[in-house]
Amino acid sequence: MSGELVDGVVPPSVSNRANVLEVENLRVDFPTDDGLVRAVRGLSYTLAPREVLGIVGESGSGKSVASLAVMGLLPKNARVSGQVRFGDENLLGLSESALARYRGEHIAMIFQDPMTSLNPVYTVGWQIAEAIRAHRNVSQRAALEKAVELLRLVGIPQAADRVHNYPHEFSGGMRQRAVIACAIANDPDVIIADEPTTALDVTVQAQVLESLRIARERTGAAMILITHDLGVVAGQADRVLVMYAGKPVEVGTADDVFYRPRMPYTLGLLGSLPRLDVGGRRRLTPIQGSPPSLINLPPGCPFAPRCPMRQPICQQEEPELRPTDHPGHLAACHFSDSLVGVAPSDLFRPTARDDVLPEDAGDSAAPEVTA
Amino acid sequence: MLAYTIRRLLVAIPLLIVSTFVVFLLVTFSGDPLANLRTKQPPPSPQVIANYRHMLRLDQPVLVRYWHWVTGLLHGDFGPSVQGGGTLDIGHALFQRILVSLRLVIAAIIIAMILAVIVGTISAVRQYSIADYVFTFTGFLFLSLPVFWFALLLKEGAIWLNNHIGTGFKTLGESSPIVGPGFGSHLVDALEHLVLPTITLALTAYAAWSRFNRSSMLEVLGSDYVRLARAKGLSRSRVLIRHALRTALIPFVTVTALDIAALLSQTIITETVFQWRGMGDFLFTAIRALDVYAVLAWLLFAAIIVIVANLIADLLYAVLDPRIRYD
Repeated sequence: MSGELVDGVVPPSVSNRANVLEVENLRVDFPTDDGLVRAVRGLSYTLAPREVLGIVGESGSGKSVASLAVMGLLPKNARVSGQVRFGDENLLGLSESALARYRGEHIAMIFQDPMTSLNPVYTVGWQIAEAIRAHRNVSQRAALEKAVELLRLVGIPQAADRVHNYPHEFSGGMRQRAVIACAIANDPDVIIADEPTTALDVTVQAQVLESLRIARERTGAAMILITHDLGVVAGQADRVLVMYAGKPVEVGTADDVFYRPRMPYTLGLLGSLPRLDVGGRRRLTPIQGSPPSLINLPPGCPFAPRCPMRQPICQQEEPELRPTDHPGHLAACHFSDSLVGVAPSDLFRPTARDDVLPEDAGDSAAPEVTA
Repeated sequence: MLAYTIRRLLVAIPLLIVSTFVVFLLVTFSGDPLANLRTKQPPPSPQVIANYRHMLRLDQPVLVRYWHWVTGLLHGDFGPSVQGGGTLDIGHALFQRILVSLRLVIAAIIIAMILAVIVGTISAVRQYSIADYVFTFTGFLFLSLPVFWFALLLKEGAIWLNNHIGTGFKTLGESSPIVGPGFGSHLVDALEHLVLPTITLALTAYAAWSRFNRSSMLEVLGSDYVRLARAKGLSRSRVLIRHALRTALIPFVTVTALDIAALLSQTIITETVFQWRGMGDFLFTAIRALDVYAVLAWLLFAAIIVIVANLIADLLYAVLDPRIRYD
């Protein structure tokens, strides 16, 4: 039952290919009593070796569902179509047992909540050793030694003792590092990290991100970093893909997306982010409203109802991802050209005013509250 | 854990004392133990009644009687009995009956647990499949059938089959009056008599337990750690058994352990239908004979079973779940 060997069908090496992972026109629908939920509506991206791709978007934008679809871990009622190519194989067509050979061995995953990610009844070391023995024919003792090594690598102190601890004896940050150790146990080619720091304290987040960076460098794996925290992406990602309502709305290098956003939604996200690197006091300019329901999406751009730039065409035609003024930088907006040089505060307005504070009392220019 | 077990057993002593006292009072004030004797025809002489009064210590205050009973228990004396002309050894008789009933209870528990785990797991893994609907339907069917009725149904069905097809179901008693020589034939005879009562009891217990295991499994199957186990590339059977079932068994085992005490009451009914000379028959006979000390002995045993079942449930919980530690 344990330690299935990868015999016979060894997935082809990906080293001679340009990309380790190619996702093409991925669609995920969930039938519900209220209708079809179109969670992912055509997502395509490529991932080069050692590249870090950040996928950002708010809750319900389809970023987690898309990555679970890549791993084949969606619930049975999900309808998935499109292609997920790893090497020459389309993972979407594979059976559960064929997929198991890729999971952990070639593509590993780290989940959001470290408090519930580990099985409470087995020791941390046992669970890491299990991941190793699922793909390698080694003894339990050798696997446990490797587990100690991995725990040390991700920064667990006294790893040789800690390996025998149960998950409840670990703190949240330590558990997430144990999950990272699990993920890199078989030197995967791709690590998918689904909101790896969201459930953690801010101080612990930095440590876990550092563990993640070490893990990535040691294994040479490419990474998909899913988060709604632009700050996390800014420090880690080479390229960024912004998702909204199940579709990518902007793709580019981290610099493209952060310094030259060409989609009002991205601009709005940036304006909602407190910045310490820009001097002076400035109010946040959040995006008003909430994301649309993914059941019976109206025609047109799904962001149009919240977009300060919307024109009649936005409610009729959904824009496709199109090249912008920078090569490789794509945005899905009819008016992306007119966003050149626009700052978030030019487009979005603060929703609250703090001119009741004494030092701001004279600030009569504070904009009115917009309902 | 050993220290905890000892501590729990020590706590059980005052618990037993309180329960025996309450039970003693309830039984004492529930009626006149000599009522049968007084209404006998022809009426026994006042001297006979006086003798019985003295034997049952009815001429002493209640608290003194209780004290005599409890101190007697410590010496293995369960008190005087009005049955068998006052010669019945309650402790010995009850012990024989417990052995008979235990066969039935243990067989039923083992079968019910195995069935419940298998069926609950299949129902959860294949949720909303035809198998799940069939198991759900039969589960609720057995759950809603009263034990006495289900037992009767089985018994009458078996008798009908015996008469029409010639099957050899044993529908009466826990053993045949005349059995061939040798241990083997006694064993076969006992097993044959076990079939119908065991089915009754096992299916009744299984119905509730399989539903419990199903929901317990469903919860675990949707958990993050099962998803992580799959993400590690483990085989499906390993994910299901080592991760999902292993963790789902924690609440399941504790609930079944607690249920064992409840199963006793259904054993009594089942035994009565199949006319076993087990604990159930002992209790009924004792109640009909107004044999207070026999009833008390039986209730004492039931109290011990409840206390032990609770202790087992707690200990199993600690064995199965590393997060639980008693010390």
